[in-house]
Amino acid sequence: MSTAVRNYATFLSRCARIAFVGDWRYYAWMGVLTAIALIGLHAYCKQFVHGLMVTGMSDEVSWGVYIANFTFLVGVAAAAVMMVIPVYIYDNEELHDLVIFGELLAVAAIVMCLLFVTVDLGRPDRFWHLIPILGQMNFPNSMLSWDVIVLNGYLLLNVHICGYLLYCRYQKRRPSKWFYIPFVFIAIVWAVSIHTVTAFLYVGLGGRPFWNSAIVGPRFLASAFAAGPALIILALQVVRRVTASAPALAGGESVSPDQRLLSAGRPATLQDFNQLAENLPELATVPTGVLHSCLLNALVLQAGTGDMLLRQGARDTDVFFVVRGHVVVKREEGGRIRITRTLGPGEIFGEVSALGRVPRTASAFAEEPSTIIRLPAEALAMLMRTPAVGEYVRAKMTERLLISDHALLTLRGIVQVSMIINVFLLANEVFKEFYSGNLHVASSKYLFLGLHGYHALVPWIWAAVALNLIGMVLLILPISRSLKWLDVACVCCIVGIWIEKGMGLVIPGFIPTPLGAIVEYNPSLNETLVCFGIWAFGLLLYTIFLRMSVPILQGRLTRANEGLPEAA
Amino acid sequence: MAAPHPFNMSDKTSDQALTRRSFLRGSAAVSGLAALAASLSPLRELKDFTSTEEFLQKYYKELSPEEMKKVLARIERQVEREYGIRPHVRDLRPMDGVEFVYCLNLTRCIGCRKCVHACVAENNQSRNPEIQYIRVLRLPHGSLDLEKAEHRYEAKEVPEKGFFYMPVQCQQCENPPCVKVCPVNATWQEKDGITVIDYDWCIGCRYCAAACPYWARRFNFARPEIPKERLNPQMAYLGNRPRQRGVMEKCHFCLQRTREGRYPACLEVCPVGARKFGNILDPNSEVSHILREKRVFIQLKEETGTSPRFFYYFDK
Repeated sequence: MSTAVRNYATFLSRCARIAFVGDWRYYAWMGVLTAIALIGLHAYCKQFVHGLMVTGMSDEVSWGVYIANFTFLVGVAAAAVMMVIPVYIYDNEELHDLVIFGELLAVAAIVMCLLFVTVDLGRPDRFWHLIPILGQMNFPNSMLSWDVIVLNGYLLLNVHICGYLLYCRYQKRRPSKWFYIPFVFIAIVWAVSIHTVTAFLYVGLGGRPFWNSAIVGPRFLASAFAAGPALIILALQVVRRVTASAPALAGGESVSPDQRLLSAGRPATLQDFNQLAENLPELATVPTGVLHSCLLNALVLQAGTGDMLLRQGARDTDVFFVVRGHVVVKREEGGRIRITRTLGPGEIFGEVSALGRVPRTASAFAEEPSTIIRLPAEALAMLMRTPAVGEYVRAKMTERLLISDHALLTLRGIVQVSMIINVFLLANEVFKEFYSGNLHVASSKYLFLGLHGYHALVPWIWAAVALNLIGMVLLILPISRSLKWLDVACVCCIVGIWIEKGMGLVIPGFIPTPLGAIVEYNPSLNETLVCFGIWAFGLLLYTIFLRMSVPILQGRLTRANEGLPEAA
Repeated sequence: MAAPHPFNMSDKTSDQALTRRSFLRGSAAVSGLAALAASLSPLRELKDFTSTEEFLQKYYKELSPEEMKKVLARIERQVEREYGIRPHVRDLRPMDGVEFVYCLNLTRCIGCRKCVHACVAENNQSRNPEIQYIRVLRLPHGSLDLEKAEHRYEAKEVPEKGFFYMPVQCQQCENPPCVKVCPVNATWQEKDGITVIDYDWCIGCRYCAAACPYWARRFNFARPEIPKERLNPQMAYLGNRPRQRGVMEKCHFCLQRTREGRYPACLEVCPVGARKFGNILDPNSEVSHILREKRVFIQLKEETGTSPRFFYYFDK
């Protein structure tokens, strides 16, 4: 038992240490975030001393940007589940490891949510009144007490799932299904619940007709499932950029489009496999019968320096093993060539696109005269039925952490559908409010058109509507299959939804007041700084999570290399 | 993998390089701590520290009579320290067989706002920032549409022609949304119908303010300021004792008076007798008579199902 504790402590301390290791870009990014977070802390200390007076809130508009951000971030946290569903329910292998990034985002988002609620409290020192048994929790009557329970529960669930999977990966042992699969399914339902409960916070208030509408819950879910995956699409591309450019050995010369693919070779023999097995011991465990049937379509290629073995974007489905020599993999991204890695004897390449039936994500060239075995994907699938080979290939796939364009496009599909539903539901709400035109339309009028000469929110909401529509149209059009346009669409959706759901939902609920007075709300500078501080802290946390989890998933931070200094 | 092992330290690593690195590390840590200290610096201005006693104080309904005594004594000490006046703080409980109801005669009300200021004086409301429990609305004749209400009317003389006035304060609902939403049970309805707040238990989330359909709840956005000479020393725990920064407050039918059989301050000051208050369980009370005899009376925002104990009526 004590060894287990010690091992776990070592794991944690190594994770903590690696958070402080990185290149200059990492230090610069973390430095900026830390500075902003500290400025936010400074602003909060002022608020703590002088009270919520330093915010723009009033008795008329008693919730402001804090609760607006809270509402938005609950959605982001909930949406992490959208990555889980394709993986665990539809067995989408490609997104498998990416799920962890989604869940880590959920953890960071929930921490931000809890911070936003805390800074909004008039008496944060009395937080313990909320704790059951110690204090008084008005459960099940108060929706806020439900929110406290579901948010903290969701935090624990995600911390457990990510922590457990990462620790298993670190120890290179297979995670026990009973330890996480049930939690994954609970988390799926739970994610829907956190956002529904947050919607019910508003929906349940009969005295505020603007919120007291059954459609708010579905709208929250739709907008969350658009904004969350959109944020993940952007985050994954950053991860990919940062991890893919690590070992750049040769220069960055361009890939000539008319270079011929090396395809001629001789049929492979058992001896070739034996030679490969010298550097790939897992292969030796494959029964000879299986090897023989694999040989049928296997070719041995003799590549000269610079020969092309794979072409980015091609749709062939072969996989390659390096028997002798070295192969360099280059990826063309936005007009620039990146060397993503070099491979030596015993290593496999081309498996991700071959098994996933997607276009090649990179090109491969022989760096020196090399011997390569080429197999059809079916043959690899056969080999992978031997557990050792299967595990090896899967581990390699993860190590490369290929965040394929295909994975991003799967997420695009989610954002696309959610965004269409979101805009549709918003249109429903707007129709109901304005067409029926009863007295309750005042808040909507204030929001969209301005009321009695007050129109602080009008430019905001129309900006949100425009961004939502642009985002939606871009997502529907095929141009968003290109990452550049997909990114534009994602940014539009995120900003649009942030306004629509934050400022556009929370503030107009208070204007006019139930007694008909119109008092506008503008966040104060101090309040804005606190918000920036919390966002910076959340990003800082997420960056640290990624900094820890990426090397673990890649197999660079494992139990096997304990005692060595952490690399950048 | 043929790439150079990423963990290999270069052979050139010398003591010098190590010292440089540890120097950099050390200075980064020091400047980090300095930045942290700088960002925490506003805390030095913190004046009203919560005492341990206050921090650990139990929930109102769980206090034993002895503990209540200690709490009341602590509050008296605190008020004395702050205002130089020794107050008399009591824990007044509801009377048996009493359920309070308020009736307000809209025909009579002239919109003079005397009730507003009497309330402020009686209930030790903050003068800066200004907190008032009663909001008097000026409405054009013939309409109860609150969106046509003027909150900030400035008249040389009231009543003004063509308008009537409607003072709004906590409606002491039978089905109060504010109580339902409070996450920590810091506000509840007592058996005499008054919805009260334990100012020592409220966490200041302002969910009740969002829930109230009558805009009756007020929040202490800053530390309340009351001039010493204006302090009303007759106080109740759930009533008019001074509030802290960051907690909710609202009209409580002047429970420090009404639970002793006196009228609320707003009623006493009303120059036209528009305000009527009493025990609905007593068939001979004035409010019982009004609710029996008057033909037109209004429960504000009846459609929200709150069922107020505050009735507006017209004489004619």
